[in-house]
Parts: sequence; structure tokens; C-alpha cells
Amino acid sequence: MKRVVSLAVLVTIVLGMSLLLALSGQSFYPSENLRWLAIVYLNTTYNPYLPDFTVRSPESVTAIVWDYRGLDTLYETTVFYLAIIAGLALGRGVKRLNQKPTDESGLSPIVKTVTKITGPMILAVAASIGLHGHLTPGGGFQGGATAAVVPVVFIVVFSSFYLLWKGVSSQRMLTLRSAGLIGIGLTSISLFLAGLLLGLPSYVFQNIAKAGSPLSMPYDVHGALLSGTLWWFNLFEFLAVSSGFTLAFIILMTPEAEEKW
Amino acid sequence: MSLDLLIYAVGAVASLMSVVAVYLALVERDLVKAVIYSAIQSVFYSLLFYLFMSPDIVLVYLPVAGGVLPALLLVLISKTERFERE
Repeated sequence: MKRVVSLAVLVTIVLGMSLLLALSGQSFYPSENLRWLAIVYLNTTYNPYLPDFTVRSPESVTAIVWDYRGLDTLYETTVFYLAIIAGLALGRGVKRLNQKPTDESGLSPIVKTVTKITGPMILAVAASIGLHGHLTPGGGFQGGATAAVVPVVFIVVFSSFYLLWKGVSSQRMLTLRSAGLIGIGLTSISLFLAGLLLGLPSYVFQNIAKAGSPLSMPYDVHGALLSGTLWWFNLFEFLAVSSGFTLAFIILMTPEAEEKW
Repeated sequence: MSLDLLIYAVGAVASLMSVVAVYLALVERDLVKAVIYSAIQSVFYSLLFYLFMSPDIVLVYLPVAGGVLPALLLVLISKTERFERE
């Protein structure tokens, strides 16, 4: 009874606040009037008539994240990398069990069959979110986080050892993750290195040719838009994030062989 | 105009239900149920993000707050105690 009363009080307060929100709804919801900064970004994100300013990506959020403020995103990736390293350090020196999963382990055959069907579908959606990040909403982190749901579901539905016996070991995830991070680093300095080799001025984290630097990443392949570095950054971030989350969950969910204390 | 009103109504209901889910998650003594209430709140928030016209945030918020974070918390609960004590 007490809980019902407190819930009713809470709902009344929230209803009043919602009424307030409805009255001043214009200030909370996005309006048609854009600020000049948004207009600048929307005008330059895909604009072939401004070749020195455009990113050649119709998706302005990914353009901002990986081009206009790409260095910020690089350091966000570094923070995520350090967080996973800290998780690995917590689990160091712990022996883990490695048993062969049987048909009895895990949930019922109905759940297993449904998971076998939906797992590849989630992976396909994740790849679509990640690799079309320069065309539609999404990007490397979004796709990677979506793909990381699949190993979690498989560990819960089958067993803790299922992924290990299918070849998804923590060592391989660490290798994949390092490959993704090396790819991000190489992509960020690729045009700088090309400029050094060709003797032309170029910048670190350069994507499309700027004033004073004629070098530019290939931004389309036979008419299919790649948006220069954006597609590569999304691909490598997808690899790094999905394998990083998978690594963390393998470390957390695999039982330890013996108690140390 | 009616479409605007519909968007406001859905947003108001989603924010309302998310606060209810937060309240239930706070008072719940069974931590597994609390995690599920928290995930329900995340789903309402992602609906709100979609109405606020930020689909990029929806795509990162839904897997992280609806899939990865509850799974992490459930693993932690399985290693400690399920019920909150006085």
C-alpha cells in the first residue's frame, strides 16, 4: 500500500512536469531554425562545389566525429583501450577452466535454435551500421557495440566455453583489437606519410584536400562513396570496439579454475 | 500540427514511463529485477533520443544500455549476492 501511494505521488509530479514540457515543448524539441554553426557543417559535409572544405560524406555526424574533430575521437578510442587494459590487468594470473561444452549445458534447444538464427542477423545489422556509417546514422562504435551483443548472448544461451571451443579465444580477440588500433593509427597518418614520400605538404589526420595541401584520400570507388578516411576509421573502430567488448566478457564470464583465497 | 502533437505525446509518455522504471529500479530489493527495470528505462530513453532526432545516439545507446551494461551487471550480481540487505 505504501509503495502504491508513493508511486501515485511520483506519477503526479511527473505528469505535472510533462504538462510543463508540453507547454514549453518548442524549446526542448529540435526546431526548424538552425544555428549558424550547424548551417556551416550541413553546407560543407557533402558539397562538391567547395572542394577545399567538404568531407564528401552525406552523414554529418560521422563527418564531425571522424574529420572535423577526429583527434577527440582518437583519444576517446585510447580511453576505451585503457579501460579494457585495466580489465585485463584485474584478471591477470587467473587460471580459467576449459571444458568441452555438451548438449546439456546452456538453455533449452528452442532458445539455442533461435539464437543460432538471430546471431548472424545481429552481426549483419552491426556490420551494416558500422560500414555504412559515412552514409546513414551509425559508425564504428555503434556497430561494434551492436556486434558485441552476439558473444554475450551466445555465452548466456550455450555455455561459457562455447566461444572458446569455436575459436573465439581472448588471445585472438586481443590480436584483432590491436590490429584495429594499429589500423586507426595508420589511417590517421597515411596522408602525412604520402605527403612525405611525394614531397607535398600534408597534415596528420587529413582527409580531403585542403587549401595548401592538394593530397586527398580516394573518396569514391566507381561512384560508391567511401568518404576518404571515414570508411577506414569506421572499419577499424568496428573491429577494435567489438573485439574489446568480447574480450572483456570472455574474461568476466569464464569460470576460474580454483579460488586463490 | 497533429504529427507534432503526437511526437510530444509519445515523448511525454516515454519520459513518464522512464521515471517510473527508475523509481521501480531504486526501490527493488531483488537486484536482477532492478537491472531489468534499468534496461526498460534505457529503452524509453532511446525512444526519447530518437524523437530528439539523434539516431546516432540511439544506435550506440540501445546496444550499450540495453545489452552490454545489463549483462555486465548480471555477471557482477552472479558473483556477489542477489538480494539487497537492510
